[in-house]
Parts: sequence; structure tokens; C-alpha cells
Amino acid sequence: MSRGLWITLGTTLGIGGAVFLGSRRASAASLSEGTPATELDPLPTANDATGDLVSNWGDTPVDLRPLLDRMQTVSQIEGSARIFAIIAFRESQFVTTAHNGNAELEQDERDASRAAYQNNKDRNPPLKYGEQSAEFGSGGLFGALAPFFLWSGVPEVGKKAPLLQSPPELVFQPRVAAFAACVYMQRLLSNYLIDDHADIKAGWASPSLLKNGRGSEQYKKVRARFFEDAINLGIDLLDTNTIPKKLSAAAWPGVPAVLKALVGELPKEAL
Amino acid sequence: MVLDLNCYGDDINALADLAGDFDLRSPNDTRAFYTRAWESIAGTLGFSQLLTAELARLRGAVDWPRAAGVAGVSAFAAWLRQQRPGVSNNQALVQGAVLRQLIAAGRERGELWRVSVDPTTLDTGACYADDHGLVRAFYPDTAPGYFGDGWTGPPPRAESRCGWQTPLVLHLGTFPWVYSSRLDRTGPGLRWSSPTAAPAVDAFRVVASTLDPHTNLRQDARQVAAIFRHFQAQTAPLVARLPLYRPGVAEVGRLHRRAGLLHVHQGSLHVAGLDGPRGHLPATAHNYILRRFADFFAVRRATVQALAMWTPEMTRLVASSADPCLRVHAEGVAHAS
Repeated sequence: MSRGLWITLGTTLGIGGAVFLGSRRASAASLSEGTPATELDPLPTANDATGDLVSNWGDTPVDLRPLLDRMQTVSQIEGSARIFAIIAFRESQFVTTAHNGNAELEQDERDASRAAYQNNKDRNPPLKYGEQSAEFGSGGLFGALAPFFLWSGVPEVGKKAPLLQSPPELVFQPRVAAFAACVYMQRLLSNYLIDDHADIKAGWASPSLLKNGRGSEQYKKVRARFFEDAINLGIDLLDTNTIPKKLSAAAWPGVPAVLKALVGELPKEAL
Repeated sequence: MVLDLNCYGDDINALADLAGDFDLRSPNDTRAFYTRAWESIAGTLGFSQLLTAELARLRGAVDWPRAAGVAGVSAFAAWLRQQRPGVSNNQALVQGAVLRQLIAAGRERGELWRVSVDPTTLDTGACYADDHGLVRAFYPDTAPGYFGDGWTGPPPRAESRCGWQTPLVLHLGTFPWVYSSRLDRTGPGLRWSSPTAAPAVDAFRVVASTLDPHTNLRQDARQVAAIFRHFQAQTAPLVARLPLYRPGVAEVGRLHRRAGLLHVHQGSLHVAGLDGPRGHLPATAHNYILRRFADFFAVRRATVQALAMWTPEMTRLVASSADPCLRVHAEGVAHAS
């Protein structure tokens, strides 16, 4: 989904007097200009959760666990909540407005989104904000590459995919980012050979790593970092009470159902 | 006769209002306040689900302040057992012993919110053994911080075996954020558990006790007010720079001011914070600490207002309290009756 280039974590960034813990991977936590004031439901709370918010979450922020739990419940991919947490830890350091591509030194992220758009626009439905998404880079809680984010659901519902008319900044809305992440997880589990949990992260970096790139240096690097991330975050990948040995998307309820349960109706300004 | 919280300072009534006014004589009012207070604590620290289960188990209780406290401590202890131990057994055992001594002394003095001691006078010296020798069991928190201007007094009277050169100071009223100069993203006190001991639970009981009407009255509120005022002086300029939260126009992911607390619109409060001259201030710590001060004074106000419910013991407690505001109030009541 994003380029699979990871950089050391741990910088702290100041935004208008406030600071967010961030990574160089998620190098900004501010909105790009022109972000619509989209009003979606607030983040789910512990009262909305159906799963366990206490066990094997490590240092995952307490107030994001209900969203991650909801993603697992809605997508019916058992065990995915904590895998999503490990992915978010790497991709955004849990900053929902993390944006990789708006800084001068992030040319590679913009190159990636540009390539993603140019290489795929002819075989996908048109994006209303295609050019903007090409220049956007990646962002949001799960580090989605903008064009792929906006094409979420296309393989399943074609031109009815819900984000085709949306601007890329919608990725900063955690509920929408969560929807796209669920769709992507399902695509990986259903269409690629996923040997273990680290393969999910390899596919997150680039699905090509699960095909021609399998066994490459980059593939090994991504997998090693995923295991490191799990340890640093404090999630035990071997705890089968919370994460089955293999994740399955066999019970996937479909793009429309997942959108409805996670996002609801997209406001007009986002369409 | 109503206790005038202004006795502790002009700003204290407004602080108590942050937690909400309630009438201890009204079971519904009381139940709502204590449920809300405990949900706020559990929501920040991450044991909401366990608290909900505990509160449900005790839902028939008549004395709701007490029941909610029992539920809260029990849920916290259960939660802590599921977390990674933060310290060694040796450290946890020493921490437990030190806390017991400090809490007993603080209770005696009516100053449990902030406890301090010359560590060389303690049985353990506040030292524990690790692979490299004797080490301090707590962080030496004496630099200027969010709860005070630091310590400039003489060193401990005896020579410390593990290098203490200052008093041991802990802010138990805001546990797990116990250190004035180190407000980490995760409250440092949450690390106080090992495979065999959980001193964090002993410290957490102090937080619970500040909500208990009897124990609340034992605390000299002047100490709490002074620490709050220092916290407020350090944080207000940082918070004032933030935009006010307005639904419909709030920026996604940005830190805002909302109803006296910090709020991140469509984002996590746990990764946000402010930087000031006294160091990093995590947003969750800010809100949690402010709520502890507010809850304390809301309970104090409600307890004193509920005169009819006072037991003779509480009446005696107030009459002999070190807290002049309480004594004056008690005298006023006696005079009026």
C-alpha cells in the first residue's frame, strides 16, 4: 500500500504549540491545505467495543483500541485488531493525520503515489481528485498511498467503490482510513499467499513483495521490522487467544457492509 | 450552611465545577457522579471494560461511593495483572514497603496527596539490590516541575546507600503521574509492578481514597490547592495557545481546548501533548491530573454540604482538622445550630 521504505522512529514534531509523537515515517501531523471539514461520527469508545480491550495490546493507545477492535469485528477477520495496531505503530505512530509526502525530503513518497496513480489509472475507475492523489504521498493511521486509498473496494464493487469522488485528505479521517485498511487486509488475505503475520506487513508495503519480491532483501527487511515493531509495541504475536496463527478473511461481509459499519454515510463534501 | 471553597482560593469553585456539582444526599446524583469519575479514570488508564464488569457486580450496593471505589481498585488490580511487569521483584518489594510507610505517615498528617520523606530514615533506605549493587527505588523528583518549584533544602541527614541526595517525593493524589518533573506519556506509577508484587495498587488506593468522603475530609485541602495552583500556572499558558473546539469546524487530528480539558478531534489524545519550560506534558496526563484535582474538590464540597449525613466521627474529624477552612466551617455550623 505504501512504498515499503521505513525509517527510524522516534522524533517528536511540533504543530502549532502542540506536539504529537511521531516518526519520520509519519513525518507530519497537520492537515494539508484544502482539507474538507468532513464531520463523521467520533471515534468509537470502550462502550462500543465487543472484543477485549485489555489483553495483549501493549502500548497501543487506549483511545484507539475501540476503533481497532471495531475493524476486527466489522471485517470479521479474527485477530486483525492487533495486527492493525502493529501496522499503525509503524506507519503513523498512531497519529491519525500522519502525512508522508508533504515535506521536502519526502520526494520518494510523492514519487510512489505518482507512480501508483500513473500505473493504475487506466485499469481503475477515474478518481475525481486523481491528480491531487498522485501528488499526495501516503498518510493516515495506516499509511495508505493516496491513489490506492481512493480506489479502495474497486476490485469488489467496481465503479461503486465509495471513495472515487473523495479528496485524498479524507485519509486523515480515522474511520475512513480504517475502512480502507480493512479492505486492503481482506485483499491481501484472499488473493496472496500469506504464510504468517509478517507477510501481511510485507504486502502492506507492496503486494509485489508477496510475489516476485518474496525472499528479496526488502521482503526480509520489512518482515524483520514488523517483528521488531510487535516487540516494541508490546504485542505478543504468539498469543493465540487474541491472534490466531493465521488470519482469514473467509467471513468478509463485503465492502458496502464494512463501509456502513465503520464510516456510515460519507458526507456530501467528501463525495 | 455551604462550605465556601473560595477559602482555598478564588479558582477552586470553578475547578470543582469541572467535575460537576452533586448532592451526596441524593442517591441518583451520587451514583452518577461516582460512576462518571471512575469511568474517567478507567478510560484514561485503560481498564474501562473491567470497571464496567465490577460496577455491574456491585450495582445493588447502597453506599455507592464506597462500592465504586472497591470496584475501581479491583478493576485496576485485575488490569495491572495483565500488563507487562515494569520493575524487578526486588524493586517492587522495596517500593511496596516504602509506600506503606509513606502512606501511613501522610494519612497521619492529613497530607496524602503529596508525600515526602528523607529516604535515609526509611527501613529500606528506598534502595533495592540489582545486578550492579544498590539502586534508588524511585525517581529523585526534585527538579522544578509541574507540581512544584523543586527542592533546594539540605541533603538527607544520613548518607544514602544508593545515592539519594534529596528527599523522596511522590504525588500520590495524581497517581500514576507521581513525579512533578517527569510526566511521561504513560504514568510512571503504572510501572510499579513485578511478577510477585504490585505496589502500584497500594498507590492507586490513595487515588480512590480521595474520592471517599471520609478520607477526603482527612486531607488538608490547602496542600491540594497549592499543588493545583502550581500546575495551573505552568499549564495555562500552554493550553491558552490551543484553539477552542467547535463542532463542525474543528481540524482533524488537532489538539483543542474543550470544556476545560484537552481534546483531539478524530485522533488519539494518547499521542498528543504540549511542550513547556517544565518539560513535556502529555495530553492524557493533563486531563487526568486536572480531573483528579476537580474530583477532589467536588467531593469535598459535596461532603461538607451533606451535613445531615455526617457521622459523629466525621464531625470530630472536621473539628480537629488541620485544615482551617474545614474548622471554620464546622464552627459556623455549630454556632448556627
